[in-house]
Amino acid sequence: MFYRPDTFAAALRLKADHAAAIKPISGGTDLVVGLNRGQSLGVDVLDLTAAKDYRRIDHADGSLILSGGTTFAQLEQLDIACLARAAASVGGPQIRNRGTIAGNLATASPAGDGSVALLALDAEVELAHADRGTRWLRLIDYFEDYRQTALGDDELISHVRIPTPSALQASAWYKIGKRGAVNISLVCAAAARFLDGRICLAFGSVAPIPMRAVQTEKLLQGQPLTGALLHQAAQAASAEVKPIDDWRASADYRKAMCAVLARRVLEQLQTDDERQMP
Amino acid sequence: MTWHLECTINDAPVTRDIPEDLTLLDFLRDHLGLTGSKGACLEGECGSCTVHLDDAPVCSCLTLAAQAHGRSVCTVEALAESTTLDPIQQAFIDTGAAQCGYCTPGLLMAGRTLLDRTAFPEANHLLTSIEGNLCRCTGYASIIEAIQIAANESKA
Ligand SMILES: Cc1cc2nc3c(=O)[nH]c(=O)nc-3n(C[C@H](O)[C@H](O)[C@H](O)COP(=O)(O)OP(=O)(O)OC[C@H]3O[C@@H](n4cnc5c(N)ncnc54)[C@H](O)[C@@H]3O)c2cc1C
Repeated sequence: MFYRPDTFAAALRLKADHAAAIKPISGGTDLVVGLNRGQSLGVDVLDLTAAKDYRRIDHADGSLILSGGTTFAQLEQLDIACLARAAASVGGPQIRNRGTIAGNLATASPAGDGSVALLALDAEVELAHADRGTRWLRLIDYFEDYRQTALGDDELISHVRIPTPSALQASAWYKIGKRGAVNISLVCAAAARFLDGRICLAFGSVAPIPMRAVQTEKLLQGQPLTGALLHQAAQAASAEVKPIDDWRASADYRKAMCAVLARRVLEQLQTDDERQMP
Repeated sequence: MTWHLECTINDAPVTRDIPEDLTLLDFLRDHLGLTGSKGACLEGECGSCTVHLDDAPVCSCLTLAAQAHGRSVCTVEALAESTTLDPIQQAFIDTGAAQCGYCTPGLLMAGRTLLDRTAFPEANHLLTSIEGNLCRCTGYASIIEAIQIAANESKA
Protein backbone atom coordinates (compact mmCIF):
# COMPACT_ATOMS: atom_id res chain seq x y z
CA MET A 1 0.00 0.00 0.00
CA PHE A 2 0.99 3.59 -0.59
CA TYR A 3 -0.28 6.11 1.94
CA ARG A 4 -0.23 9.83 1.33
CA PRO A 5 -1.84 11.53 4.34
CA ASP A 6 -2.40 15.27 4.16
CA THR A 7 -1.52 15.96 7.78
CA PHE A 8 1.44 14.94 9.88
CA ALA A 9 -0.93 13.75 12.63
CA ALA A 10 -2.43 11.23 10.20
CA ALA A 11 1.09 10.11 9.24
CA LEU A 12 1.92 9.54 12.91
CA ARG A 13 -1.21 7.42 13.33
CA LEU A 14 -0.23 5.23 10.36
CA LYS A 15 3.34 4.86 11.63
CA ALA A 16 2.17 3.91 15.12
CA ASP A 17 -0.25 1.31 13.73
CA HIS A 18 2.08 -0.25 11.15
CA ALA A 19 5.49 0.24 12.83
CA ALA A 20 8.24 -1.45 10.80
CA ALA A 21 5.73 -2.58 8.16
CA ILE A 22 5.54 0.94 6.75
CA LYS A 23 8.44 3.03 5.46
CA PRO A 24 8.34 6.82 5.42
CA ILE A 25 9.46 8.57 2.28
CA SER A 26 10.07 12.24 1.86
CA GLY A 27 12.48 13.52 -0.80
CA GLY A 28 13.36 9.97 -1.82
CA THR A 29 16.96 11.06 -2.41
CA ASP A 30 18.24 8.18 -0.29
CA LEU A 31 15.36 5.74 -0.58
CA VAL A 32 14.71 5.80 -4.32
CA VAL A 33 18.41 5.48 -5.14
CA GLY A 34 18.14 2.04 -3.51
CA LEU A 35 14.92 1.29 -5.38
CA ASN A 36 16.61 2.11 -8.70
CA ARG A 37 19.43 -0.28 -7.78
CA GLY A 38 16.91 -3.08 -7.56
CA GLN A 39 16.26 -3.07 -3.82
CA SER A 40 12.54 -3.45 -3.30
CA LEU A 41 10.90 -1.27 -0.69
CA GLY A 42 9.49 -4.51 0.69
CA VAL A 43 6.95 -2.77 2.87
CA ASP A 44 4.14 -0.26 2.58
CA VAL A 45 5.14 3.32 1.86
CA LEU A 46 4.18 6.38 3.89
CA ASP A 47 4.63 9.50 1.79
CA LEU A 48 5.13 12.54 4.01
CA THR A 49 5.29 15.11 1.23
CA ALA A 50 1.56 15.85 1.16
CA ALA A 51 1.45 16.74 4.87
CA LYS A 52 0.91 20.47 4.77
CA ASP A 53 2.30 21.12 8.23
CA TYR A 54 5.56 19.31 7.53
CA ARG A 55 7.71 21.95 5.82
CA ARG A 56 7.54 24.83 8.28
CA ILE A 57 10.25 26.87 9.92
CA ASP A 58 9.07 28.54 13.13
CA HIS A 59 10.56 30.69 15.86
CA ALA A 60 9.40 29.85 19.37
CA ASP A 61 10.81 30.99 22.72
CA GLY A 62 14.04 32.07 21.10
CA SER A 63 14.48 28.66 19.46
CA LEU A 64 14.32 27.89 15.81
CA ILE A 65 12.02 24.95 15.11
CA LEU A 66 12.38 23.16 11.79
CA SER A 67 9.75 20.68 10.65
CA GLY A 68 11.24 17.37 9.59
CA GLY A 69 10.26 18.05 5.98
CA THR A 70 12.33 21.22 5.74
CA THR A 71 14.36 20.86 2.55
CA PHE A 72 18.00 21.74 2.02
CA ALA A 73 16.79 24.47 -0.34
CA GLN A 74 14.96 26.04 2.61
CA LEU A 75 17.91 25.55 4.97
CA GLU A 76 20.21 27.29 2.50
CA GLN A 77 18.26 30.50 3.11
CA LEU A 78 18.73 30.45 6.88
CA ASP A 79 20.83 32.97 8.71
CA ILE A 80 22.85 30.31 10.52
CA ALA A 81 26.14 30.04 8.67
CA CYS A 82 27.10 26.43 9.34
CA LEU A 83 23.66 25.02 8.59
CA ALA A 84 23.08 27.17 5.51
CA ARG A 85 26.49 26.34 4.08
CA ALA A 86 26.16 22.64 4.86
CA ALA A 87 22.77 22.62 3.10
CA ALA A 88 24.15 24.49 0.10
CA SER A 89 26.88 21.86 -0.22
CA VAL A 90 24.43 18.97 -0.63
CA GLY A 91 24.02 17.50 -4.13
CA GLY A 92 22.75 19.81 -6.86
CA PRO A 93 19.65 22.02 -6.83
CA GLN A 94 17.48 19.04 -7.81
CA ILE A 95 18.58 17.17 -4.67
CA ARG A 96 18.33 20.22 -2.40
CA ASN A 97 14.76 20.85 -3.57
CA ARG A 98 13.74 17.38 -2.40
CA GLY A 99 16.11 16.16 0.31
CA THR A 100 14.92 16.85 3.85
CA ILE A 101 16.49 17.29 7.25
CA ALA A 102 14.48 14.38 8.72
CA GLY A 103 15.66 12.16 5.87
CA ASN A 104 19.24 13.15 6.63
CA LEU A 105 18.88 12.36 10.33
CA ALA A 106 16.99 9.09 9.72
CA THR A 107 19.49 7.85 7.13
CA ALA A 108 22.17 8.71 9.72
CA SER A 109 25.03 8.49 7.25
CA PRO A 110 28.36 9.39 8.88
CA ALA A 111 28.70 11.83 5.96
CA GLY A 112 25.32 13.50 6.59
CA ASP A 113 26.07 17.19 6.16
CA GLY A 114 22.85 18.39 7.78
CA SER A 115 23.47 16.06 10.72
CA VAL A 116 27.00 17.38 11.28
CA ALA A 117 25.93 21.04 11.16
CA LEU A 118 23.06 20.41 13.57
CA LEU A 119 25.37 18.50 15.94
CA ALA A 120 27.65 21.52 16.17
CA LEU A 121 24.62 23.69 16.89
CA ASP A 122 23.80 21.34 19.79
CA ALA A 123 20.38 20.85 18.21
CA GLU A 124 17.66 18.54 19.46
CA VAL A 125 15.46 16.18 17.49
CA GLU A 126 11.84 15.48 18.30
CA LEU A 127 10.73 11.87 17.93
CA ALA A 128 6.97 11.57 17.81
CA HIS A 129 4.47 8.78 18.43
CA ALA A 130 0.72 9.06 17.86
CA ASP A 131 -0.18 7.84 21.37
CA ARG A 132 2.93 8.22 23.50
CA GLY A 133 3.45 11.80 22.38
CA THR A 134 6.83 13.29 21.63
CA ARG A 135 10.29 13.14 23.14
CA TRP A 136 13.15 15.54 22.56
CA LEU A 137 16.66 14.16 22.33
CA ARG A 138 19.91 16.02 21.98
CA LEU A 139 21.47 14.97 18.69
CA ILE A 140 24.58 13.87 20.54
CA ASP A 141 22.37 11.19 22.15
CA TYR A 142 20.43 10.40 18.98
CA PHE A 143 23.19 8.83 16.85
CA GLU A 144 24.03 5.44 18.35
CA ASP A 145 26.09 3.41 15.93
CA TYR A 146 26.64 3.05 12.20
CA ARG A 147 23.25 4.02 10.72
CA GLN A 148 21.61 3.23 14.05
CA THR A 149 19.70 5.86 15.95
CA ALA A 150 17.31 6.26 18.85
CA LEU A 151 14.38 6.53 16.40
CA GLY A 152 11.81 3.82 17.19
CA ASP A 153 10.08 1.68 14.56
CA ASP A 154 6.76 3.26 15.40
CA GLU A 155 8.00 6.86 15.54
CA LEU A 156 8.61 9.65 13.06
CA ILE A 157 11.01 12.55 13.25
CA SER A 158 8.71 15.53 13.62
CA HIS A 159 10.95 18.52 14.36
CA VAL A 160 14.45 19.71 14.94
CA ARG A 161 15.09 22.45 17.47
CA ILE A 162 18.10 24.68 17.48
CA PRO A 163 18.22 25.92 21.05
CA THR A 164 18.22 29.64 21.48
CA PRO A 165 19.74 30.71 18.19
CA SER A 166 19.77 34.17 19.74
CA ALA A 167 22.49 32.77 22.00
CA LEU A 168 24.53 31.74 18.99
CA GLN A 169 27.42 34.05 18.27
CA ALA A 170 29.02 32.50 15.23
CA SER A 171 29.17 29.23 13.36
CA ALA A 172 31.37 27.81 10.66
CA TRP A 173 31.39 24.99 8.15
CA TYR A 174 33.97 23.35 5.96
CA LYS A 175 33.76 20.32 3.70
CA ILE A 176 36.48 18.51 1.78
CA GLY A 177 35.32 16.49 -1.17
CA LYS A 178 36.61 15.44 -4.54
CA ARG A 179 34.90 18.18 -6.53
CA GLY A 180 32.95 21.38 -6.22
CA ALA A 181 29.41 20.12 -6.73
CA VAL A 182 27.37 16.98 -6.00
CA ASN A 183 29.97 16.16 -3.47
CA ILE A 184 29.87 13.61 -0.64
CA SER A 185 32.39 14.69 1.97
CA LEU A 186 35.71 12.99 2.57
CA VAL A 187 35.70 14.94 5.81
CA CYS A 188 33.48 17.80 6.93
CA ALA A 189 33.54 19.93 10.04
CA ALA A 190 31.19 22.36 11.75
CA ALA A 191 31.74 24.58 14.75
CA ALA A 192 29.55 26.93 16.74
CA ARG A 193 30.29 29.44 19.48
CA PHE A 194 27.55 30.48 21.84
CA LEU A 195 27.31 33.76 23.71
CA ASP A 196 28.16 32.02 26.99
CA GLY A 197 31.55 31.16 25.46
CA ARG A 198 30.79 27.48 24.85
CA ILE A 199 32.20 26.04 21.62
CA CYS A 200 30.84 22.91 19.90
CA LEU A 201 32.78 21.07 17.22
CA ALA A 202 31.46 18.25 15.01
CA PHE A 203 32.88 16.12 12.19
CA GLY A 204 31.44 14.01 9.39
CA SER A 205 32.90 10.95 7.61
CA VAL A 206 35.43 10.25 10.36
CA ALA A 207 33.54 7.81 12.61
CA PRO A 208 30.62 5.35 12.36
CA ILE A 209 28.32 8.25 13.20
CA PRO A 210 28.34 12.00 12.65
CA MET A 211 30.37 12.88 15.74
CA ARG A 212 30.90 15.64 18.27
CA ALA A 213 34.55 16.07 19.20
CA VAL A 214 33.83 16.35 22.92
CA GLN A 215 37.44 15.88 24.05
CA THR A 216 38.62 18.68 21.82
CA GLU A 217 35.74 20.85 22.94
CA LYS A 218 36.92 20.52 26.55
CA LEU A 219 40.24 22.12 25.65
CA LEU A 220 38.45 25.09 24.17
CA GLN A 221 35.99 25.98 26.89
CA GLY A 222 36.48 29.41 28.34
CA GLN A 223 39.83 29.90 26.62
CA PRO A 224 40.76 32.63 24.14
CA LEU A 225 41.47 31.03 20.75
CA THR A 226 45.19 31.76 20.64
CA GLY A 227 47.48 30.31 18.00
CA ALA A 228 48.83 27.83 20.51
CA LEU A 229 45.36 26.67 21.50
CA LEU A 230 44.31 26.28 17.87
CA HIS A 231 47.34 24.10 17.29
CA GLN A 232 46.55 22.01 20.35
CA ALA A 233 42.89 21.66 19.32
CA ALA A 234 43.85 20.58 15.81
CA GLN A 235 46.05 17.81 17.20
CA ALA A 236 43.37 16.76 19.67
CA ALA A 237 40.68 16.57 16.98
CA SER A 238 42.92 14.47 14.78
CA ALA A 239 43.56 12.09 17.68
CA GLU A 240 39.93 11.93 18.72
CA VAL A 241 38.30 10.94 15.42
CA LYS A 242 38.06 7.30 14.33
CA PRO A 243 38.00 7.22 10.56
CA ILE A 244 38.23 4.16 8.32
CA ASP A 245 39.92 3.53 4.99
CA ASP A 246 37.43 3.36 2.16
CA TRP A 247 37.37 4.01 -1.55
CA ARG A 248 36.86 7.73 -0.96
CA ALA A 249 39.89 8.35 1.25
CA SER A 250 42.32 6.71 3.65
CA ALA A 251 41.97 6.90 7.40
CA ASP A 252 45.35 8.66 7.67
CA TYR A 253 44.29 11.32 5.20
CA ARG A 254 41.06 11.88 7.07
CA LYS A 255 42.88 12.24 10.38
CA ALA A 256 45.25 14.76 8.88
CA MET A 257 42.34 16.70 7.35
CA CYS A 258 40.54 16.79 10.70
CA ALA A 259 43.45 18.78 12.09
CA VAL A 260 43.26 21.17 9.13
CA LEU A 261 39.49 21.56 9.29
CA ALA A 262 39.39 21.96 13.06
CA ARG A 263 41.76 24.88 12.70
CA ARG A 264 39.82 26.37 9.78
CA VAL A 265 36.39 26.29 11.39
CA LEU A 266 37.73 27.59 14.70
CA GLU A 267 39.58 30.41 12.96
CA GLN A 268 36.43 31.23 11.07
CA LEU A 269 34.52 31.50 14.36
CA GLN A 270 36.99 34.17 15.35
CA THR A 271 36.89 36.20 12.17
CA ASP A 272 33.15 35.96 11.57
CA ASP A 273 31.49 38.61 13.66
CA GLU A 274 28.21 37.56 12.11
CA ARG A 275 25.31 38.06 14.48
CA GLN A 276 22.99 35.15 13.97
CA MET A 277 19.24 35.13 13.69
CA PRO A 278 16.96 38.11 14.02
CA MET B 1 -0.76 -2.53 -5.52
CA THR B 2 -1.76 0.39 -7.63
CA TRP B 3 -2.18 4.02 -6.81
CA HIS B 4 -4.82 6.18 -8.43
CA LEU B 5 -2.76 9.14 -9.59
CA GLU B 6 -4.29 12.49 -10.36
CA CYS B 7 -1.92 15.27 -11.29
CA THR B 8 -1.20 17.93 -13.88
CA ILE B 9 1.42 17.27 -16.51
CA ASN B 10 2.42 20.06 -18.87
CA ASP B 11 -0.78 21.92 -17.96
CA ALA B 12 -3.06 18.97 -18.78
CA PRO B 13 -4.89 16.93 -16.15
CA VAL B 14 -3.72 13.31 -16.01
CA THR B 15 -5.47 10.42 -14.26
CA ARG B 16 -3.92 6.93 -14.20
CA ASP B 17 -3.68 3.81 -12.09
CA ILE B 18 0.02 3.19 -11.57
CA PRO B 19 2.28 0.85 -9.60
CA GLU B 20 3.16 2.46 -6.26
CA ASP B 21 6.89 2.10 -6.70
CA LEU B 22 6.95 3.55 -10.21
CA THR B 23 9.30 6.51 -10.52
CA LEU B 24 8.09 9.73 -12.07
CA LEU B 25 10.71 9.28 -14.80
CA ASP B 26 9.38 5.86 -15.80
CA PHE B 27 5.82 7.13 -15.61
CA LEU B 28 6.58 10.02 -17.96
CA ARG B 29 8.54 7.90 -20.43
CA ASP B 30 6.84 4.51 -20.39
CA HIS B 31 3.26 5.40 -19.54
CA LEU B 32 2.85 8.79 -21.16
CA GLY B 33 5.38 8.56 -23.98
CA LEU B 34 7.10 11.75 -22.83
CA THR B 35 10.60 10.53 -23.61
CA GLY B 36 12.31 13.93 -23.43
CA SER B 37 13.41 13.34 -19.85
CA LYS B 38 16.30 10.88 -19.83
CA GLY B 39 17.37 8.27 -17.33
CA ALA B 40 21.15 8.00 -17.15
CA CYS B 41 22.65 7.53 -13.67
CA LEU B 42 19.38 6.93 -11.76
CA GLU B 43 21.13 8.18 -8.61
CA GLY B 44 20.53 11.92 -8.76
CA GLU B 45 24.04 12.77 -9.92
CA CYS B 46 23.57 13.60 -13.60
CA GLY B 47 20.37 15.62 -13.79
CA SER B 48 19.34 14.21 -17.18
CA CYS B 49 15.92 13.40 -15.75
CA THR B 50 15.26 16.93 -14.44
CA VAL B 51 11.62 18.08 -14.53
CA HIS B 52 9.84 20.85 -12.67
CA LEU B 53 7.62 19.76 -9.79
CA ASP B 54 5.49 22.74 -8.80
CA ASP B 55 8.09 24.97 -10.48
CA ALA B 56 11.13 23.52 -8.68
CA PRO B 57 13.66 21.38 -10.59
CA VAL B 58 13.84 17.84 -9.23
CA CYS B 59 15.24 14.50 -10.37
CA SER B 60 12.28 12.57 -11.73
CA CYS B 61 14.29 9.36 -11.28
CA LEU B 62 14.27 9.86 -7.49
CA THR B 63 10.64 10.97 -7.20
CA LEU B 64 7.89 8.40 -7.06
CA ALA B 65 5.15 9.11 -9.58
CA ALA B 66 2.61 8.74 -6.77
CA GLN B 67 4.33 11.64 -5.00
CA ALA B 68 3.25 13.90 -7.85
CA HIS B 69 -0.35 13.36 -6.80
CA GLY B 70 -2.20 16.67 -6.71
CA ARG B 71 0.82 18.50 -8.03
CA SER B 72 1.97 20.01 -11.27
CA VAL B 73 4.78 18.55 -13.36
CA CYS B 74 6.44 20.31 -16.26
CA THR B 75 8.76 18.49 -18.67
CA VAL B 76 11.04 19.59 -21.49
CA GLU B 77 8.22 18.83 -23.94
CA ALA B 78 6.39 21.89 -22.62
CA LEU B 79 9.17 24.40 -23.31
CA ALA B 80 8.37 25.01 -26.98
CA GLU B 81 5.02 26.42 -28.00
CA SER B 82 4.07 24.34 -31.03
CA THR B 83 6.94 25.06 -33.44
CA THR B 84 8.30 28.10 -31.62
CA LEU B 85 11.25 27.15 -29.47
CA ASP B 86 11.86 28.57 -26.02
CA PRO B 87 14.74 31.09 -26.14
CA ILE B 88 16.91 28.71 -24.15
CA GLN B 89 16.34 25.93 -26.68
CA GLN B 90 17.22 28.25 -29.55
CA ALA B 91 20.34 29.41 -27.71
CA PHE B 92 21.49 25.81 -27.19
CA ILE B 93 21.22 25.28 -30.95
CA ASP B 94 22.98 28.54 -31.78
CA THR B 95 25.96 27.89 -29.51
CA GLY B 96 26.27 24.19 -30.29
CA ALA B 97 25.57 23.35 -26.66
CA ALA B 98 24.11 19.97 -27.56
CA GLN B 99 26.15 17.12 -28.98
CA CYS B 100 24.92 13.63 -28.14
CA GLY B 101 21.92 15.38 -26.58
CA TYR B 102 21.38 13.05 -23.67
CA CYS B 103 21.95 15.70 -21.00
CA THR B 104 20.24 18.47 -22.96
CA PRO B 105 16.65 18.15 -21.69
CA GLY B 106 17.84 18.22 -18.07
CA LEU B 107 20.11 21.19 -18.72
CA LEU B 108 17.29 23.06 -20.45
CA MET B 109 15.02 22.53 -17.45
CA ALA B 110 17.75 23.52 -14.97
CA GLY B 111 18.65 26.60 -17.00
CA ARG B 112 15.00 27.53 -17.45
CA THR B 113 14.60 27.61 -13.66
CA LEU B 114 17.38 30.16 -13.40
CA LEU B 115 15.77 32.36 -16.06
CA ASP B 116 12.38 32.07 -14.34
CA ARG B 117 13.79 33.09 -10.97
CA THR B 118 16.62 35.50 -11.67
CA ALA B 119 16.20 38.51 -13.92
CA PHE B 120 19.88 39.37 -14.11
CA PRO B 121 21.87 36.21 -13.46
CA GLU B 122 25.56 36.67 -12.66
CA ALA B 123 28.33 34.30 -13.63
CA ASN B 124 28.12 32.34 -10.38
CA HIS B 125 24.33 31.96 -10.78
CA LEU B 126 24.88 30.47 -14.23
CA LEU B 127 27.32 27.95 -12.81
CA THR B 128 25.29 26.93 -9.77
CA SER B 129 22.10 26.60 -11.81
CA ILE B 130 23.60 23.61 -13.62
CA GLU B 131 25.54 22.26 -10.64
CA GLY B 132 23.32 19.17 -10.63
CA ASN B 133 23.75 18.36 -14.34
CA LEU B 134 26.53 16.46 -16.07
CA CYS B 135 27.54 16.78 -19.73
CA ARG B 136 30.19 14.49 -21.15
CA CYS B 137 30.36 15.81 -24.73
CA THR B 138 30.54 19.53 -25.25
CA GLY B 139 31.90 20.61 -21.90
CA TYR B 140 30.20 23.45 -20.13
CA ALA B 141 31.44 26.61 -21.88
CA SER B 142 28.88 26.52 -24.70
CA ILE B 143 26.12 25.52 -22.29
CA ILE B 144 26.83 28.47 -19.98
CA GLU B 145 27.03 30.74 -23.02
CA ALA B 146 23.63 29.49 -24.20
CA ILE B 147 21.98 30.16 -20.85
CA GLN B 148 23.57 33.63 -20.78
CA ILE B 149 22.25 34.40 -24.27
CA ALA B 150 18.77 33.23 -23.29
CA ALA B 151 18.94 35.39 -20.15
CA ASN B 152 19.87 38.44 -22.24
CA GLU B 153 16.98 37.74 -24.59
CA SER B 154 14.46 37.36 -21.79
CA LYS B 155 15.50 40.83 -20.60
CA ALA B 156 15.20 42.39 -24.04
C1 LIG C 1 23.09 12.93 -5.90
C2 LIG C 1 22.96 12.95 -4.40
C3 LIG C 1 23.83 13.73 -3.66
C4 LIG C 1 23.74 13.77 -2.28
N1 LIG C 1 24.60 14.56 -1.60
C5 LIG C 1 24.54 14.61 -0.26
C6 LIG C 1 25.44 15.43 0.46
O1 LIG C 1 26.28 16.14 -0.11
N2 LIG C 1 25.32 15.46 1.82
C7 LIG C 1 24.38 14.72 2.49
O2 LIG C 1 24.32 14.79 3.69
N3 LIG C 1 23.52 13.93 1.82
C8 LIG C 1 23.58 13.84 0.48
N4 LIG C 1 22.72 13.02 -0.21
C9 LIG C 1 21.80 12.16 0.55
C10 LIG C 1 20.38 12.67 0.76
O3 LIG C 1 20.06 13.71 -0.15
C11 LIG C 1 20.16 13.20 2.18
O4 LIG C 1 20.48 12.21 3.12
C12 LIG C 1 18.73 13.67 2.42
O5 LIG C 1 18.70 14.41 3.61
C13 LIG C 1 17.69 12.57 2.48
O6 LIG C 1 16.42 13.17 2.68
P1 LIG C 1 15.12 12.65 1.88
O7 LIG C 1 13.96 13.45 2.35
O8 LIG C 1 15.37 12.63 0.43
O9 LIG C 1 15.04 11.15 2.44
P2 LIG C 1 14.27 9.84 1.88
O10 LIG C 1 15.09 9.20 0.82
O11 LIG C 1 12.85 10.19 1.57
O12 LIG C 1 14.33 8.98 3.20
C14 LIG C 1 15.57 8.60 3.76
C15 LIG C 1 15.35 7.77 5.00
O13 LIG C 1 14.75 8.57 6.03
C16 LIG C 1 13.54 7.99 6.48
N5 LIG C 1 12.68 9.12 6.84
C17 LIG C 1 12.37 10.20 6.06
N6 LIG C 1 11.63 11.07 6.77
C18 LIG C 1 11.46 10.55 8.01
C19 LIG C 1 10.78 10.99 9.18
N7 LIG C 1 10.13 12.16 9.25
N8 LIG C 1 10.81 10.20 10.27
C20 LIG C 1 11.48 9.03 10.25
N9 LIG C 1 12.14 8.55 9.16
C21 LIG C 1 12.12 9.31 8.06
C22 LIG C 1 13.07 7.13 5.34
O14 LIG C 1 12.23 6.09 5.76
C23 LIG C 1 14.39 6.61 4.80
O15 LIG C 1 14.84 5.53 5.56
C24 LIG C 1 22.76 12.99 -1.61
C25 LIG C 1 21.88 12.21 -2.34
C26 LIG C 1 21.96 12.18 -3.72
C27 LIG C 1 20.99 11.35 -4.50
